[in-house]
Amino acid sequence: MTLNKTMTLLLAGAAVTLSASVATAQTNLRVFVSSQHRPDVWRKAFDMYEAKNANVKVTIETGGNTSEQQSQYLNTVMTAKDSSLDIMILDVIRPAQYAAAGWTVPFNDVLGSDAANSMKRYLPAYAEANTVDGKVVALPAFADAMFLYYRKDLLEKHGIQPPQTWDELAVAAKKVTEAEKDANLQGLSFQGKAIEGAVCTFLLPYWSMGKQLVSDGKLSFDKDAAVKSLKLWKDFVDQGVAKKNIAEVATDDTRKEFQAGNVLFAVNWSYAWGQFQGAESAVKDKVGVVKLPAVQGGQPASCLGGWEWGVSAYSNNKTEAQKFVQYLSSPDVSEFMAINAALLPQFPEVYTDADVTKAVPWFANAKPVVETAKARPVTPRYNEVSEIIRTTVNGVLAGQSTPEEGAAQMEGRLRRVLR
Amino acid sequence: MATASETTLVNTHNESGTKWWTRFLDPSERTLAVLLLMPAALLLTLIIVYPVCRLIWTSFQNLSLTSGVPAAFAGLENYSLMLEDPVFWETTWNTILITLITVPGALFVGLALALMANLPFNVKWPVRLSLLIPWALPLSFAGLIFAWFFHSEYGVVNDVLRRIGIEGVIWFNSANWAFAAICLTIIWKTSSFMALIILAGLQTIPRSLYEAADVDGAGRLRQFFEITLPLLKPAIVVALIFRTITALQTFDIPFTMTRGGPGTSTATLAMYIHQNTVDFLDLGYGSALAVVMFVLSMGVTAVYLRMIRAKG
Repeated sequence: MTLNKTMTLLLAGAAVTLSASVATAQTNLRVFVSSQHRPDVWRKAFDMYEAKNANVKVTIETGGNTSEQQSQYLNTVMTAKDSSLDIMILDVIRPAQYAAAGWTVPFNDVLGSDAANSMKRYLPAYAEANTVDGKVVALPAFADAMFLYYRKDLLEKHGIQPPQTWDELAVAAKKVTEAEKDANLQGLSFQGKAIEGAVCTFLLPYWSMGKQLVSDGKLSFDKDAAVKSLKLWKDFVDQGVAKKNIAEVATDDTRKEFQAGNVLFAVNWSYAWGQFQGAESAVKDKVGVVKLPAVQGGQPASCLGGWEWGVSAYSNNKTEAQKFVQYLSSPDVSEFMAINAALLPQFPEVYTDADVTKAVPWFANAKPVVETAKARPVTPRYNEVSEIIRTTVNGVLAGQSTPEEGAAQMEGRLRRVLR
Repeated sequence: MATASETTLVNTHNESGTKWWTRFLDPSERTLAVLLLMPAALLLTLIIVYPVCRLIWTSFQNLSLTSGVPAAFAGLENYSLMLEDPVFWETTWNTILITLITVPGALFVGLALALMANLPFNVKWPVRLSLLIPWALPLSFAGLIFAWFFHSEYGVVNDVLRRIGIEGVIWFNSANWAFAAICLTIIWKTSSFMALIILAGLQTIPRSLYEAADVDGAGRLRQFFEITLPLLKPAIVVALIFRTITALQTFDIPFTMTRGGPGTSTATLAMYIHQNTVDFLDLGYGSALAVVMFVLSMGVTAVYLRMIRAKG
């Protein structure tokens, strides 16, 4: 018994010394990856880096299903000045906020004097979203935008072309759902729940009317356009094009219902494509994807998405972390992620790469959509702006307030935040 | 010379008692009390007094992490902003309404459950266990589970209603129905806690009182109102204090069920505090809101404590 105990203690002691000596030679990087963006494929990209850099060991941490949940978690970690996370993936709306709070380390030192020039490799929208007052606060991980998914088989059956305007979409949806006589078939699915996606729901028609929410850092709210935008969505519900409980629908509900074959048209991000083509999908090979419709007489508009790599200001391995992020935000990794995880590239030339077009043919058509997609307002107080818009959209769709009341509330509350 | 002065020094010490620390070796009753209370007092200062003072101090500051400017003293600015903030009033009203509905609700359901559990069953544990389960379930789990129950398409509530021929409602699409769903969930979740405390109270009531009442010819109902209820009063007041304070701090269940929707119609004050501090990183304003909730809870506790003291 005693002998056994002594042996165990000795072994444990040896293990501790051993791991301590390894740790001195090795950098451990802990990376937060959003669970909806294929951490399994990111892991492979991390493995390739580890293979080339024997002294770096990367651990993945995931959590939360939505952008809001992830930001709540990261906000807690950062306010606690916790050094355990070195790198975190951030939704495109957050780098400005994190930089203002002093939570991320600028990349200017490692990028050298020519930081602005090196950002020119990226699609312009991402260079802009990651640069705050001349400082590069994060590097792009991948791009994203919203698209209109449609059931190719059903549109062909009824001889309808993919709609160019929202009005055409309503007509097409009514025609198909009436003819199909399927009680489960919804004409259009979009995001009405009070989540980040509902901000884009509001902005799509608003932007399509040529209006901006913020210009030169000042609120440029157009109340008429806001009323029209809210009314457009509410009319879809009232006319039966969208289902009555659309106020309960989050991004992934749209994806699941479309994937189950219950939706004709769906507004969603690019990640949905890979899932629709999966083995469990009821709509495999029956899906088309095009740019989103415009309002009558307006330009089509999409909401710019995408995620960025930031290095924590509380990390103990900032230099190693920045080097790793530079690798992650390179054309090679972008190509790897496009082919293996169907994540849209942040570099224009990767869209036309032969291997990429072979693996994901529709990326060639996605490029102009991403290039013209509009960014949600870049402001450190974005979370407040977002909350105001999404709860109003949710309230109007639930019938709690009329589009006119909703627009008035929105204007009043936005004025207080963006003075 | 040196020896002489040393002697005088020792002498003076002996005159004033002994060295200062020796009093701890044989402490007087007063010193002993201070000594024994010290660890607890230090701990309380560290984990309660300091955070509360810090919170109040922060509430007078302009401290928003997203503004990029360092904290500055702002006087009562956060409080005056609050008065003009419609969401503050809405969430406070929602909190009060939840308290007014779910505290009596949980009391009645809990009392009924406790009376049932106190019936002379042969096997007592299944009843006790089913009382414990809702209480032991984490609040956020309860919220998530009931969010599914009340889901308009996939939920069991609407399914049951449909089977008995009633067209269900889209619960989370209307402020009133969403509010009703939340209150039902809170009552379900918290009445078992009430029942546990009341059950403990019930078991302290001597059987002989009921036997005497039987002899005197008092009916069941009379016995309940003349014996059970008056003797349960202390247990009920204790249960009410705890329940009211947790009701004022309601967060988990509406947060997981509706996230305050539709719009902000089911958001509570605790959710608004969380939103301002964690989501908006406006620590100054969030602290001011938290001070209001603190005062509200203290006020309610004071009222209850006075009630107990008046009775005692």
